[in-house]
Amino acid sequence: MIGKTAVDNSLSNSVEKKSVIETKPKRKVSIPKLLIYVVLIAMAIICFIPFLMMLVNATRSNEAILSGFTLIPGSAIVENYQTMMSYINIWAGFKNSLIISVLVTLLSGYFSALTAYGFAFYVFKGKNAMFVFMLVMMMVPGQLGLIGFYELCKNLGILDTYIPLIIPAAASPFVVFFLRQYILTTLHPSLIEAARIDGASEFNIFHTIAIPIMMPAIATMSIFTFIGSWNNYIMPLVVLFSPEKFTLPVLMGFLKGSQVAQNLGSMYLGIAISVVPIMVAFLFLSKYIVNSISAGSIKE
Amino acid sequence: MKNLNRYGYFFIAPFWLVFLVFSIYPVALTFYYSFTNYTGSGEAQLVGLANYKRLLTDTYFVEAFFNTWKIWGVNFALQMGLALILAMIFSDMRIKLKGIAFFRSIFYLPNLITISSVALLFGILLDWQHGSLNMMLMKLGIISDPINWLNEPTSAQLSVSLILTWMWFGHSFIVVMAGVSGISKDYYEAALIDGANRWQTFSKITIPLLKPILLYIMITSLIGGLQLFDLPMLLTDGIGSPDGSLNTMVLYLYNQAFKYNNYGYAAAVAYGLFVITLIFSAFIFKGMYGKERKQPRQV
Amino acid sequence: MKRKLSIFLVSILLVGLFAGCSSDSKTSGNGKKDVDLRIWSFTDELKKPIKTFEEKNGVKVELTIVPIADYPTKLKPVLESGVGAPDVFTGEIAFLKQWVDAGYWENLSEKPYNADKLSDKYVPYVFDLGKDKDGDVRALSWQTTPGGIYYKRSIAKEVLGTDDPTQVGEMMSSMDKVFDVAEKMKSKGYSMFPDEGAIRWFTQGDNPQPWVNDKNELQLTDEKMEYMDYSKKLRDNQYTALAPEWSPSWFEGMDKPIKVKEGGKEKETQVFSYVLPTWGLHSVLKTNVKESVGDWAVTSGPSPYFWGGTWLGVYNKSDNKELAYKFVKMMTQDDEFLTSWSKETGDVLSYLPVTETIKDDFSDKFLGGQNNYQFFLDQSTKITPGIVTKYDQQLDTLYGNAVQQYVTGKKSKKEAIKEFYQKAQNAYPDIKVPKK
Repeated sequence: MIGKTAVDNSLSNSVEKKSVIETKPKRKVSIPKLLIYVVLIAMAIICFIPFLMMLVNATRSNEAILSGFTLIPGSAIVENYQTMMSYINIWAGFKNSLIISVLVTLLSGYFSALTAYGFAFYVFKGKNAMFVFMLVMMMVPGQLGLIGFYELCKNLGILDTYIPLIIPAAASPFVVFFLRQYILTTLHPSLIEAARIDGASEFNIFHTIAIPIMMPAIATMSIFTFIGSWNNYIMPLVVLFSPEKFTLPVLMGFLKGSQVAQNLGSMYLGIAISVVPIMVAFLFLSKYIVNSISAGSIKE
Repeated sequence: MKNLNRYGYFFIAPFWLVFLVFSIYPVALTFYYSFTNYTGSGEAQLVGLANYKRLLTDTYFVEAFFNTWKIWGVNFALQMGLALILAMIFSDMRIKLKGIAFFRSIFYLPNLITISSVALLFGILLDWQHGSLNMMLMKLGIISDPINWLNEPTSAQLSVSLILTWMWFGHSFIVVMAGVSGISKDYYEAALIDGANRWQTFSKITIPLLKPILLYIMITSLIGGLQLFDLPMLLTDGIGSPDGSLNTMVLYLYNQAFKYNNYGYAAAVAYGLFVITLIFSAFIFKGMYGKERKQPRQV
Repeated sequence: MKRKLSIFLVSILLVGLFAGCSSDSKTSGNGKKDVDLRIWSFTDELKKPIKTFEEKNGVKVELTIVPIADYPTKLKPVLESGVGAPDVFTGEIAFLKQWVDAGYWENLSEKPYNADKLSDKYVPYVFDLGKDKDGDVRALSWQTTPGGIYYKRSIAKEVLGTDDPTQVGEMMSSMDKVFDVAEKMKSKGYSMFPDEGAIRWFTQGDNPQPWVNDKNELQLTDEKMEYMDYSKKLRDNQYTALAPEWSPSWFEGMDKPIKVKEGGKEKETQVFSYVLPTWGLHSVLKTNVKESVGDWAVTSGPSPYFWGGTWLGVYNKSDNKELAYKFVKMMTQDDEFLTSWSKETGDVLSYLPVTETIKDDFSDKFLGGQNNYQFFLDQSTKITPGIVTKYDQQLDTLYGNAVQQYVTGKKSKKEAIKEFYQKAQNAYPDIKVPKK
């Protein structure tokens, strides 16, 4: 307890001179807490400001944006929207991005959990070699695989479809790695043994025992997967040709090549439209994680 | 019981099927190109080990290697430090902070914005003559002359490190918290009863139990860090100015491949980078699981 | 029960996946039938011409815009394989040389195009740039993009005593004279240029040479080396407003005074001139200037130069070359279309039959009624053809970098040049670099 009292003393000393109430023993605990909150909120502001700037700029005209930064919204949002829509159908891109990202997230979540479980709880020939090989493959810089990837899609005849954007998600080494690490700490083999004795089949054990335990980790990774897929630019750019199939980031690229690029307000509005939904989705998923954590603790 | 182990193959089969086709094939093709003088179009001619020989004597690659380490190292120390402190605060049963979902979301926000917007934003903030940062520092009287942040090697590298920290500490925090949430509350309650202080609880319970997750963060951050590329490319002129200080390994690779069309050599650079990553990952693994190979488990 | 549920969920997932894919391939199948011609470009410039073309010929054209930074990345694999490729695509000066030699564009010197016959009808350097290494025409352009110096009339009148473009141009006809003007500007509190990068277009001096000659040797001419000193002089004597190209302050300086901090002092200064080509007027100055409309003029600098430009040609694996060339023809040889295009956009054309008839009655309000068309046409004839190489963009960047090192005092001139040589060699191992 020494550490704690020392911290408390030093913190309360600095405040003592200013306020009498806060030196009361009852309040003593809440002072460091208050300070922590202040620091946390300061950090939150630093993280939020660029986001705010983007939202504010989405409502401002081009000249206003060029003349400097402000956090007071402008009144050009309707014009910005009209300019943007005259060039691209952002909502079609929105739909495409959503279809792809949702499927990618589901595929990646399910198959990664499956693979991670396989790696964590079975002993089979070549297991360690395969796991290490998977890790090793993560280390090859991806930039150069692009031409090979294109050739492959061409040979498989899947260019200009969503297949090359979705199916590869079933093999996400980073997610497998994380889930394996996670399940090693959270699921004890004795639980599996017990289920086997009860006569449960292997896939049944996976679906009824492993998946619920892994859920917080899967949800966490799903957020990253979803966002990664949502923001993915270079792959859909290279693989898709028909404008009606383009995803949001590719459409944003369209904007950059058009006269709209002269209109920063429209650009910001486009970016805002593409970011706000994932922010909302993220907040929702974030809550879901919290819920599953508390649900887990009640069970125990 | 033992014959159940063959199920392991069923569990990992779909992964490997997809992985073989979509990841390994393109990467293997790159490996082949690293022995050619391929320019990204037309025919490729085999040139033996010439590209690798060149790599070993390439001073710009060595420069890029050290730059990458400097930038990543500073960023990783800050980012992990912040993430662990935050995790310590939020998992502390005595403080019982509220609003974790809120803070977690807000801290993660910088990661949502695409990197090109981030670069644009910081380009404006760090602008020599008109950047908000210099204006603020001058008003406060800390500096009298504006600092040309992105024009001095040290400050340029530091700027990139700090931007990376800003972008990624929320991510690391979430991952750490996901790991912490997997630790049973019983441990903490027991520690509280035993009268352990915050530091003891953190270093004796949280850290050891988080080892697998920390390993995950370290490895992925290393892989991501050594592949650092878009931020240095977008912040200055794309070739690593000032004075080559932002020339990272993948930026070098990218320029060789897509700007100078030395595709074959770029492939060799990619494999050079790959070997480097491999060596350092092995060190991390060894450092973490040097003696005992067993992970601590919840009982 | 649970197992069935999970199988059910997985199958839904898979069905959804394939349904998603198949429905999309269906729409694409229809889409392909509808479109007669596919065109790729990196700006939306062609939008209106395409509409005209569609109405004239009763066909449907699909335009795909890829941002310039990703244009080569996207185009290369497509052109290599021919899958999903366009029938017509444009090229920017930065990668033009590489592409004409790569053979992606149809050889227009052959029958039935016979483009060689057109050579007299174009501004020489523009026509020349569309040729490959064997001298065959691969791409054509409708525009010419020579540059000048845009300046503010009111400042010229105050400091130089005249705002007449010819006289002001005379005062800046050599680098030494430019520095005289810069000194005068400084004494009245004005900045000659936004930053020292502005003069990079005059580096050729009166000795234009390609970066790499036909013996595959890198050539750093004395004139180019002198450019280092000029840049340093601009910086050291505080002749500029320290506003780098495309930065917010660079744009701001067009219309109002900007603040400059140097040597512990802050001063406010107005920028006198911007070095920009034809398109700089429409897509840079006009879109950013509000207050000083009509106060501008354009004149010539120490040496003629050009900046940018778009070429277009027919993809050599296209199934529809006839229609594709019809479009190229309209964009580059159609008198009627080009006349209206030029009048509408102010674009300076390289097709002489049209420019001859329209050049005389141009006048731009933004430039105080000056006939910029005539001016730029005169400039375009002074440009030496044949000095563009495929190395230009990268070597310009590397050299600009070396100049910066010297200007900011980090390296001596000798060191900076040495480093430039090293980096050039590193980027292009095949070229011969002077050993120093």
